[in-house]
Amino acid sequence: MIKFIILSIPPGSMIVAGFAVLGIIFWIFWPKRGLLALLQKIKMNNERVQLEDALKYLFDCEYNSNMCNMNSIAGNLNISDDKAGQLIERLLSMGLITMDNQNISLTDTGKSYSLRVIRVHRIWERYLADETSIAQADWHNEADRIEHFVTREDTEKLAAQMGNPVFDPHGDPIPSIDGDLPEPKGKLLNHMKEGESGQIIHIEDEPRSIYEQLVAQGLYPGMPVFVTGVDNGKIIFAANGDECILTPLFAAQITVEALSDKTPVSAKHELLSSLELGERAEIAGISPNCRGQQRRRLMDLGVVPGSMVSAEMKSASGDPVGYRVMGTTIGIRKQQADLIFIHKNNDDTKK
Amino acid sequence: MNKNELQERNEILSEANKARWDLGVNFHDTVIEAIYEDASRIARKTVKQQGEKAAYSLDLKIDKIVTSRWLGFPLMFLMLAVVFWLTVAGANYPSGLLASFLIDYMHPILKQAAASINMPWWLDGVLIDGAYLAMAWVIAVMLPPMAIFFPLFTLLEDLGYLPRVAFNMDSMFRRAGAHGKQALTMSMGFGCNAAGVIAARVIDSPRERLIAIITNNFSLCNGRWPTQILIATIFIGSLVPAGIAGFVSAGAVVGIAILGIFFSLVVSWGLSKSVLKGEASAFSLELPPYRPPRILQTIYTSLIDRTVFVLWRAIVFAIPAGVVIWLVANIHIADLSLAEHFIQWSGPFALVFGLNGVILLAYIIAIPANEIVIPTVLMLTVLSTGTHGMGEGTGVIFELDSVGDTANILHAGGWTLLTGINLMLFSLLHNPCSTTIYTIYKETRSVKWTMVSTFLPIVLGFIVTFFTTQIWYLWFS
Amino acid sequence: MTTPKNNLNNCATCPVHNKENLIKLGLSLDEIDYVITMAGNPNTGKSTVFNNLTGLRQHTGNWPGKTVTRAEGGFIYNEKRYKVVDLPGTYSLLSTSTDEEVARNFILFGQPDVTVIVVDATRLERNLNLALQILEITDRAVLCLNLMDEARRNQIEIDVRELSKELGIPVIPASARRKVGMNELLAAIEEVASGKYVCRPHKIKSRSAKLNHAISNLSAKLAKHFPKLPNLNWVALRLLEGDNSIIEAVQSGELGSINAQTETAQA
Repeated sequence: MIKFIILSIPPGSMIVAGFAVLGIIFWIFWPKRGLLALLQKIKMNNERVQLEDALKYLFDCEYNSNMCNMNSIAGNLNISDDKAGQLIERLLSMGLITMDNQNISLTDTGKSYSLRVIRVHRIWERYLADETSIAQADWHNEADRIEHFVTREDTEKLAAQMGNPVFDPHGDPIPSIDGDLPEPKGKLLNHMKEGESGQIIHIEDEPRSIYEQLVAQGLYPGMPVFVTGVDNGKIIFAANGDECILTPLFAAQITVEALSDKTPVSAKHELLSSLELGERAEIAGISPNCRGQQRRRLMDLGVVPGSMVSAEMKSASGDPVGYRVMGTTIGIRKQQADLIFIHKNNDDTKK
Repeated sequence: MNKNELQERNEILSEANKARWDLGVNFHDTVIEAIYEDASRIARKTVKQQGEKAAYSLDLKIDKIVTSRWLGFPLMFLMLAVVFWLTVAGANYPSGLLASFLIDYMHPILKQAAASINMPWWLDGVLIDGAYLAMAWVIAVMLPPMAIFFPLFTLLEDLGYLPRVAFNMDSMFRRAGAHGKQALTMSMGFGCNAAGVIAARVIDSPRERLIAIITNNFSLCNGRWPTQILIATIFIGSLVPAGIAGFVSAGAVVGIAILGIFFSLVVSWGLSKSVLKGEASAFSLELPPYRPPRILQTIYTSLIDRTVFVLWRAIVFAIPAGVVIWLVANIHIADLSLAEHFIQWSGPFALVFGLNGVILLAYIIAIPANEIVIPTVLMLTVLSTGTHGMGEGTGVIFELDSVGDTANILHAGGWTLLTGINLMLFSLLHNPCSTTIYTIYKETRSVKWTMVSTFLPIVLGFIVTFFTTQIWYLWFS
Repeated sequence: MTTPKNNLNNCATCPVHNKENLIKLGLSLDEIDYVITMAGNPNTGKSTVFNNLTGLRQHTGNWPGKTVTRAEGGFIYNEKRYKVVDLPGTYSLLSTSTDEEVARNFILFGQPDVTVIVVDATRLERNLNLALQILEITDRAVLCLNLMDEARRNQIEIDVRELSKELGIPVIPASARRKVGMNELLAAIEEVASGKYVCRPHKIKSRSAKLNHAISNLSAKLAKHFPKLPNLNWVALRLLEGDNSIIEAVQSGELGSINAQTETAQA
């Protein structure tokens, strides 16, 4: 029977039907807006997720010695004050927090619960940063999504594979498995004075819009900074030879640890991609934005501070350029050459 | 005591953890830098570079030519064309020789021997017409081209030329989210997809390696070229005057191969933007110095490592397939063989895709090797149309020396120009052969990626043939 | 008794007096006197050296990263039976990638009698990176300075005696593709394996004071708990890197077994 039905459909309708089927399939699997993604979102909005997020936030407040109350919880979790009130009731009844006037603080149980959640979150952020190609601005949200569903065992296995990281990609320490966390170090960039120098140890990843702008400016944990001036509350500082100006709001997102033994690097680094064919230069370092396997591979091939590099040949289509490092020619794409810093010493550039 | 020890050990560990917080985020880098500092100090003490680097400057001269803007690509295409020409031209004669020995000469002898010991007809059919013939076919068609292609390819590899090809091609593959070395796995795939999948080992970044493995099937392999050429000659060559028929049908086949490259790039791009988005990606490409290849050793190792290895896997899969092919043609249920049942049942569905039941069945039972698709198609067509006097008997796969006779059988089977075009498309876009599927599993160790590589091309194949057919109907109705 | 070998020149012309002793074995390795392992960067001809020693034929391409699986083989030299384990070619031993983990754990936990480090003479500096890491792990190693013919063509001169002094291990110049230097390599392997040559391997000197402090602090604690562990600093460094196999070995006390093995091997 079906045979004849199929054969009697005119080709025009078949084409339309074909497109319809393809369309439906695409809609189901479309990232972010498709059916599967929507179902995922609905699953996210349950109570446990909010509870864990609230604990995490409360812990962060205490760690940074800030005050927090119902309003700030509501703001941080992006829920109504009513909902936040209910949430606090639950936390109280579960014995995870205590309240003193408006001030909320964690009990010991609450603290260890939140440390567990934070450990999972930061390990996954580390994983996303080092072992996947997820965009930097998405790490936090992606980890937020994952952290409520993975088991502890899976996370520990992951941590073991990665060599038990102790810092997340924003420079924050990851609590140990027993719940240890070092004392907070450093001070906020907006509290620094002219002439002070240090190293960025943390860039806050919330709110996301500010974080994205800081990342876009090329700031990263581990970067040396030197404050050259404070003007109307604006912080002016040198970072990797570039001058940056940040408003207090932005500067408050950055934590800096004072460095005493190192004089700040004032020379501006150039990028490997700017090296012309036949020129030679000394490698100054690899940007921390080059991570994981890519970074390892470059270092393996001899791209380390101090070694000499020369641009030897362009590929027929122009992009990967062959650079000679430690006696080997390696092809490096422009995308990566942009992440490698060099010192061009004019006496050295002759070939 | 023991408890004490355990505690002591855990103290060491938590001590280490605390120290790691103190050492900061750049710790790993400083460890490596310290080692390099020592290495560089020792190297400065012990290594002396005298005068001009003679050999390297020769390397650089060669590199300037093979990677130059104007000569780079033509040289590469010339080199590949020569390799393919040598393979096709050189394999023709030994292939014919092997076929006439294994099929025309050995097959009747085996049949006679079976008859003389009174082997039951069904056992004789399963073993000799089924298993033996499928194996013989695979060896005859597969061995000679691979025995020429792989050593040639390996010679280019040992010489150091292939990394330069990857270097030149990288920008195209980068745009598709893939690695320049995929150019090599793709070319290797023109010889054999299973070998192409194995060759993807040289790509050390997980994401790009998976892309190369999954898309390798879009390289029209050695086993599919004869199908393409035969069908193009019969259905497309016959459209134009005899004088240019050869040229036009060759053009059609090359067009299909280029379409394959196109699909390979588009699918690479799609994969890197969707399912493989989260896989780690890293690019590194070392350009080793040129080295004179050791020809004899290269030929030996490439024959052992690649040709025999792949051939063996193909034979292992071809033998049971031969048995299945014979059985479906010879097991009867209510007067019709299993094959005929399937062909009649699936015919209408196949028509929607401009194919027919014979083609669908042939691609299902000839999954071990694309080489036996055409013989199976011929056998099934003869079987289902009830043509007599062609071929060697029920369920015995065969091929004809004359293209004209083959065309007659296919026309009798109801084939049209549209069927021909769709078969060519479907031959490019269908699941990899079982040897390749098995190899993909061995290489990725993942059922998920094996499934994706298996079903992605065939879904694409059905989509493409569906729209081709329906638009064709719309146009000509 | 073979002549003491620490040759400076490759031995293309000298009599191959050990040839008859050199009965090559296939994979049948029942009774073994010494286990040696081969490590080196990819594309240094490590597989060629391995093939020369064992008579096996692994494919070796001019393309980094050919050897994917760990190969094993063996040979007899001066009536001693050797088992050779070819480790995957790696640039380094410090990362978390599987290849590097396999290699470093084999050297640390397997305690081979000799580790042959194959390096590319034309890129000594980069190759020394791996060699120095190996010397942090094991005390018994031989450096095979391969591709000397290519180095000579590039007019690179290497002071082999000085290099050997710096590294504290025998250094054998070789051209494995032409089978040059293999006898000297075998002799050096034997001397190190039998303990005739005592290595004084180079230890990293350029570390920052802060790091050195952390390492010595931790290794003092380790020494108390695992008094016979030979490479304390390396283990301490690995703990600071968070190497999970070392952490587990500390937890389970398996680290203690390393010294035991070494002692029986030396006894």
